[in-house]
Amino acid sequence: MALSIADLPKEELFGQGHAGCGGCGAAVAGRQAMKALGSRTIITIPASCMATMGGSNLKTTWQIPFYHTLFEIAPAVSSGIRAALDAQGIEDVNVVSWAGDAGTADIGFQALTGAAERNEHMMHVCYDNEMYMNTGGQTGSQTPMFAKTSNMSKGKMIKKKNMLAIMEAHEIDYVASASIAYPLDLIAKFKKAAEKPGFSYIHILAPCHRGWQIPAEKTIEFARLAVESGLFELYEVDEGKRTRTVEPIFIPVQDYLLPQGRFKNLTQEAIQGIQAGVNRHYGRGE
Amino acid sequence: MVKNLPVVPTAKAGSLVDTPTGITWRIQYPEILENCNMCLDCTLFCPDGAIVQQEGKLVLNLSLCKGCGICANECKENAIQMIPEYSGVQGVFR
Ligand SMILES: Cc1ncc(C[n+]2csc(CCOP(=O)(O)OP(=O)(O)O)c2C)c(N)n1
Ligand code: SF4
Ligand code: SF4
Ligand code: SF4
Ligand SMILES: [Mg+2]
Repeated sequence: MALSIADLPKEELFGQGHAGCGGCGAAVAGRQAMKALGSRTIITIPASCMATMGGSNLKTTWQIPFYHTLFEIAPAVSSGIRAALDAQGIEDVNVVSWAGDAGTADIGFQALTGAAERNEHMMHVCYDNEMYMNTGGQTGSQTPMFAKTSNMSKGKMIKKKNMLAIMEAHEIDYVASASIAYPLDLIAKFKKAAEKPGFSYIHILAPCHRGWQIPAEKTIEFARLAVESGLFELYEVDEGKRTRTVEPIFIPVQDYLLPQGRFKNLTQEAIQGIQAGVNRHYGRGE
Repeated sequence: MVKNLPVVPTAKAGSLVDTPTGITWRIQYPEILENCNMCLDCTLFCPDGAIVQQEGKLVLNLSLCKGCGICANECKENAIQMIPEYSGVQGVFR
C-alpha cells in the first residue's frame, strides 16, 4: 500500500529546536527517518554535524535515547546495544547507528564493515553531505571529483568511492540509497530496513548548503536535481534483489553541477565526462 | 562485588524544543497563504519541525522556525510567502 503523508505519525522525535544551521539537509534526513522508525528506537551518532545538532549533555532535541560516540565506533556501540537488549529479552527496539560520510566511509569504516560482516541486527545510516562539515568542510572519500572544499581549493582529483556497492558486497539483508527530496521513498526504505533480522545500510544524499555553496532554501531542490540528472540513483538491494525506485528524467548534469559554488569552475570537458558517465551507467545513447 | 556504574549527566529528552537555538538570527519568516491545499509536503521538508500537521490543520510554530525558506521554495502551490523580519532604518525586530 502506498504511503501518504497524512497517515504518518504526528510525533516529532528529532529536529525541533536543533542546534544546527537553518536549512540543514541532515536535519531533514533525521526528521524524515524518525517518521518511519518511531519512538522504540535507540540511536548512536559519532562526531559530526548531526551529533552536535542533537545537543549536549544539558539539552537535546532527541525524544529517544541518543548516544554521541567516538568517531570510529558508532556501529560497534550499536552492536553492543543490541546485545544488551537481547540479554534482557527486549525485542521491539530499532537499533541504529547514524553517521556522516566521514563517520561512515572513512574513519568509521572499520566498525561498519565489522558490524555488517557479523550481520548484526541493526541498521547503519550514512547522511552524505560529501565533505567533513563539522570541522569546516574538508575533502573525504565521498566528495565528488572536481568539487572544491576548504582544503582542496583546486577541486578533488579522484572519484567518489562507491559506498553502496561496497556495502552490497557484504551481502547484508538490505542496502538502499535515499534522498531527502523523496521523503516517502526514504520512509518506505527505513520501514523495510527496520523489519530485517540482520544488517541494513541506507545511504542518504543530504546536501549541506554551506559546503555546497548554494542558497539555504535550495537544499531540497539540489537533492532532487541530483536524482533527476541520474547522478544519484535511487535504488534498493533487498536480500540480493536490485530495484530502481525512482526513474530519473535525465536533466543535463550541468543543471545540477554548475549552480553550486563548489563546482563553479568546472570545464566543459569535465561536464561532458560526467554526462558520459551517467549515459553509460543507464545505457543511454548507445 | 558488582560496582555501581558512574552516573553520566543526561539531557532531558526533547529539552531543546522549549528553548530552541538559532531562531534569533532569523531574517525572514514564512506566512502560509489561503491557497494552501494541505498536500503536507512542507511538513516533511522543514528541517526544524516548525510546520506540522495538527488535527487536520497546518500549524506553523515561529518559535522553532529559522527562516531558511525551504518551505516557500518547495511549495508547489506557491502558498508560502517569506516576509522580512526587519523593517525601517532602525531595523525593528518584530
Ligand atoms: C578521532 C577523531 N578525529 C577527528 C575528529 C574531528 N572531527 C569531528 S567531526 C569531523 C568530520 C565529520 O564529517 P562527517 O562524518 O562527514 O559529518 P559532517 O560533519 O559532514 O556532518 C571530524 C574530522 C574527531 N572528533 N575524532
Ligand atoms: S554545516 Fe551543513 S551539515 Fe552542518 S549543520 Fe550546517 S547545514 Fe547542516
Ligand atoms: S507545501 Fe504548500 S500547499 Fe502543501 S501543505 Fe505546505 S503550504 Fe500547503
Ligand atoms: S522557513 Fe525553514 S525553518 Fe521556517 S518553517 Fe519554512 S522550512 Fe521550516
Ligand atoms: Mg559529511
